[in-house]
Amino acid sequence: MGCSSTKPHLAHVGHLAGHQYDVIVVGGGHAGTEAAAAAARVGAETLLITQKIHTIGALSCNPSLGGVGKGQLVKEVDALDGLCGRAGDWAGIHFSILNRRKGPAVWGPRAQLDRQRYRDFIQSELLSTPRLTVLEGSVEELLVTEPNPEEPGHHRVTGIRLANGSHAISARSVVLTTGTFLSGSLFVGQTTSPGGRIGDAPSSPGLSHTLRERLGLRTGRLRTGTPPRIVKDSVDLSLAKLHLPDSHPTPFSFLNTHTHCKPEEQLPCYLTFTTPGVERVVRESLQLNCHIQQDTKGPRYCPSIESRVLRFPGRSHQVWLEPEGVTSDLLYPQGLSMTMPPDIQLRLIREIPPMRRAEIHTPGYGVQYDFVCPTQLSPALQVKSTQGLFLAGQINGTTGYEEAAAQGLWAGANAARWALSMPTVTLSRTESYIGVLIDDLVSRGVTEPYRMFTSRAEFRTSLRPDNADLRLTPKGFEEVGCVSSVRYQESLRVRNSLQDALTALQALFLSTSSWKKKLPSVPISETKSTLLTGLDLLQYNDVTFEMLASAFPESLSSYMEFAQRLKIEAVYKPHCDLNKKEIERIQREENMSLPQDIDYFSLPVSLSDEVREILDRVRPSTLGAATRLEGITPAAVVNLLNYVRVTEKKKETHRNQRHQEAQRDEELCANSASLPQ
Amino acid sequence: MLPLRSVCGGIWRAAVHTVRTSRGAPPYRLLSSTCDGAPAALADADTIFALSSGHGRCGVAVVRVSGPASATALRCMAGFTQRLPPPRTALLRSITDPRSTEVLDRGLVLWFPAPRSFSGEDSVEFHIHGGPAVITAVLQALGSVPGLRPAEAGEFTRRAFQAGKLGLTEVEGLGDLIHAETEAQRRQALRQMSGELGRLYQDWSDRLKRCLAHVEAFIDFSEDELIEDGVLNRVDVSVRDLQAEIERHLKDERRGERLRGGVQVVIAGATNAGKSSLLNKLCQRPAAIVSPIAGTTRDVVETALDLGGFPVLLSDTAGLRDSSDLVEREGVRRALERVEQADLTLVVVDSAHLPSEVDRAAAFLREHLSSVLPDTGRCLLVLNKADLLPEKQRQKLDMELRGVSGLPAVCLISCQTNEGLKDFLTVLHSSVKTLCGDPLFGAPTLTQARHRAHLQRCAAALAQYQRYRDTDLALAAEGVRVAVTSLGRITGRVGAEEILDIIFKDFCIGK
Repeated sequence: MGCSSTKPHLAHVGHLAGHQYDVIVVGGGHAGTEAAAAAARVGAETLLITQKIHTIGALSCNPSLGGVGKGQLVKEVDALDGLCGRAGDWAGIHFSILNRRKGPAVWGPRAQLDRQRYRDFIQSELLSTPRLTVLEGSVEELLVTEPNPEEPGHHRVTGIRLANGSHAISARSVVLTTGTFLSGSLFVGQTTSPGGRIGDAPSSPGLSHTLRERLGLRTGRLRTGTPPRIVKDSVDLSLAKLHLPDSHPTPFSFLNTHTHCKPEEQLPCYLTFTTPGVERVVRESLQLNCHIQQDTKGPRYCPSIESRVLRFPGRSHQVWLEPEGVTSDLLYPQGLSMTMPPDIQLRLIREIPPMRRAEIHTPGYGVQYDFVCPTQLSPALQVKSTQGLFLAGQINGTTGYEEAAAQGLWAGANAARWALSMPTVTLSRTESYIGVLIDDLVSRGVTEPYRMFTSRAEFRTSLRPDNADLRLTPKGFEEVGCVSSVRYQESLRVRNSLQDALTALQALFLSTSSWKKKLPSVPISETKSTLLTGLDLLQYNDVTFEMLASAFPESLSSYMEFAQRLKIEAVYKPHCDLNKKEIERIQREENMSLPQDIDYFSLPVSLSDEVREILDRVRPSTLGAATRLEGITPAAVVNLLNYVRVTEKKKETHRNQRHQEAQRDEELCANSASLPQ
Repeated sequence: MLPLRSVCGGIWRAAVHTVRTSRGAPPYRLLSSTCDGAPAALADADTIFALSSGHGRCGVAVVRVSGPASATALRCMAGFTQRLPPPRTALLRSITDPRSTEVLDRGLVLWFPAPRSFSGEDSVEFHIHGGPAVITAVLQALGSVPGLRPAEAGEFTRRAFQAGKLGLTEVEGLGDLIHAETEAQRRQALRQMSGELGRLYQDWSDRLKRCLAHVEAFIDFSEDELIEDGVLNRVDVSVRDLQAEIERHLKDERRGERLRGGVQVVIAGATNAGKSSLLNKLCQRPAAIVSPIAGTTRDVVETALDLGGFPVLLSDTAGLRDSSDLVEREGVRRALERVEQADLTLVVVDSAHLPSEVDRAAAFLREHLSSVLPDTGRCLLVLNKADLLPEKQRQKLDMELRGVSGLPAVCLISCQTNEGLKDFLTVLHSSVKTLCGDPLFGAPTLTQARHRAHLQRCAAALAQYQRYRDTDLALAAEGVRVAVTSLGRITGRVGAEEILDIIFKDFCIGK
């Protein structure tokens, strides 16, 4: 881990005229930076275009990373060699594992971040990534042309045009990560102004126009908000409850054994509560609050203080006061996102005891922005109708840094593969939270900003934060190409060691009375006369791997570094085995792909009009996705299946025929060539 | 050294590899969790069983078992402790309940080892006596054998398809077959769900969903939010209560509703067409009040009939018309509900209302049918009051309405003069016979066995919640998830979004 400054690959517009890139990434937020880095790792010549280079890697809202569900995403992005896990380990100033007492499958690794350090790390990583160039600028429009007839789609993207100077830069694929900037507008009180973040202009209207008018994409509008930033010195923290981090910080990254921040240097958070005065201020100022009166959908789980007190009146709501960084003199009041006029914001926060005399550094505000209905995307996050165009992050209707980073990585890797003429790849919801996220987006769509929860993952007991490397790193190296060989080798070492250790545990095969002698402190019931293995013992609540290793040092002591992982593997094994059958069934279905250009209305199989309409609207990529749609009957699935099988057979015959024809042609050519002139 | 334990199964990678290799596996296994009423097909390694012979008065019933655990079923129910019987040979055995070792029946057993069986898998057939009590007992005994579960719609056929035992034309018909079978199951489920038993299951399902939502909320939100520990304590109580209630229900066989057996035949049509007169004619007694006043019948009148040896449950319903009378409106709603659940509908029309031209009469009848029947359900058209028609027109209609496309079988009758009744009875008898030949129609024991299997799984899963409650909430929640899915196979699927909706309704989550 390091954050040394390296020679930057910065570009100037003038140098780029006529330059051809493999991949252009538009946007430098969490999705954009992961996309650009992943594309470059896969091997694509990549250009990242962002409005301001110094805001690359900025944390626009909360100064934290991870959490329940989101932490899983960070671990998975890291397992695929993404940036955010290592950046979190570098910038974290308060680490804790949420849900520590609720079982390892739902542990939520989380950290408060130093904004400046996070930005530094991301910028330094990007600027030292081979094949990646960064350009400051604003994109005016997408360059679009006729599609490649060999592939499905109505259009093909060929590059972008910059706003001023009308420079065109060509690329084989483009990743849009416009965040809240696509037709973004900011709301404070009764004032509305165009913008994607306070102090930053929205993306060019030309871009929205291309997406909607030229490419015919369906878009919608969502909203979100952010709280005011409070001057730390003006808050009486002695009136709030102190909340300490874990005494031993756990790093996000599988490559790191410790965090940059020393355990004793971590900063605390503070907890306080709203008062009836807060509710009064909200009610009195409703008419001055444009944003809250709009009916655009905001996130239900991250509501503004206005919606909280209106939906659940008469209650006291939590407010977390979080540090913004080691040297920052600001506090972030999590839970106080608000859009009322600044003077009323001040009145509101002063209703909360520790903030009686608080000063606001920057007022809270709301943002409304366009998103593209994500059912128009393939599981590779490519726009189905437009060859080479990929979307990631809030433009797909999600919220959150981690959700954005996960999509960015996947879209970037696929954009690179597309540009380099390699087949795109998908992640199943049976193997990762990223797969759950993407499958939910592309097959169900969104009605409100989408956030990850562990409850969305059907196979939660198998998709744990501790085994993200086993699940994804080998695939990332072998099938996707976005993982370095160093990380790959390490993941193989871990996998083999874990397997060896489990074998060694199973080889310890003793009677209950022998176990009792070996582990006198463990209550082993002797009613069963069966033999127990070391793995069986490790499933006991009171048995740790350390205990077994000290009882059998010769066979187990070499695996001490994996003590915790082995304990988790042992406890979860029976449950994961139960999951396996269902996982296999789903994966079989997901291996049956449905053609994207299929005309469901004229398909010569027995399907009701209702089913045809659903299939036409959603255009599921696989039979698996089709079975998960509301209103699709088993009979419809069988009929589709027979059709797909028949068509595939026909295609194969057709391919064989073509092959034979081609051979014949070649023979003919060869014959004619051999004819005397 | 340890033949039954797989060493690397605990590591994820190993699981993924086995999956990849099965890429070419045939696809009909995929009929999955999409149908609301009909339960999803579980994974294929399961062993399935079902009543394969027809329903109704029959001397012998055939129960089929297919899958890897078939031999186990044979061993523990037909007393083959040492070795299995010779393949494809009928042997007379006592068939016992493996739990109580009580003898349930004496019958023939046949053992078909793979691949030479109908499904291509190891299979067993039990040929037992045809009474409902024996069939129920044998099905329930099979359900208690580890690894066995009741078959889902079309599952035997799908397995046969998988093993390459079906020809191409049969494969093409598979979709239609599954449609028909799921439809039959859906009607079964509807019948039961509209009764007391249905309300009980629905109540359990609602309570379970709430339990799951609250556990999920506690997992996904409690650290940063105001979700007090009390939430989990309330879940503990609910889960304990639910488990006890379901186990009590499973133990007490008499509890709950007696399932209505037989083919469900429903008489429906406009007011004053003579529906109740038809019912009375069929059961040869004045079971329903008849009068010339339109709207006499306001509720469903039910009669059990024996039609040439086949059990029939005949229902007369309120005449269909718009009415401002609250009672009559409710009657019409019930009538339509009953038609939806019917195996066979007798649509009764007053012949005097028919246009005299045959073409126009056919169009009239088609339109009338579409207003009575929800879709293309099985039905017979009964043109009553034929005595009111002039002889000539009667003959013309009788001749020419037969075999008109888009119309079901048409019977011209008069309940007044008994004209045409005999022919009608012949048509009705043959329709009922066809329905009874299909074991899925009107066979409550099958549905009952399926419900039991799902309820048992549900109760076992709730025990998992209790076991892990204090050590690992994720594994405890997994128990509630499995319980919700199991019950959902009876009451309808529950998705993650539905659980999230409950969470956001019940808790103020915000950060």
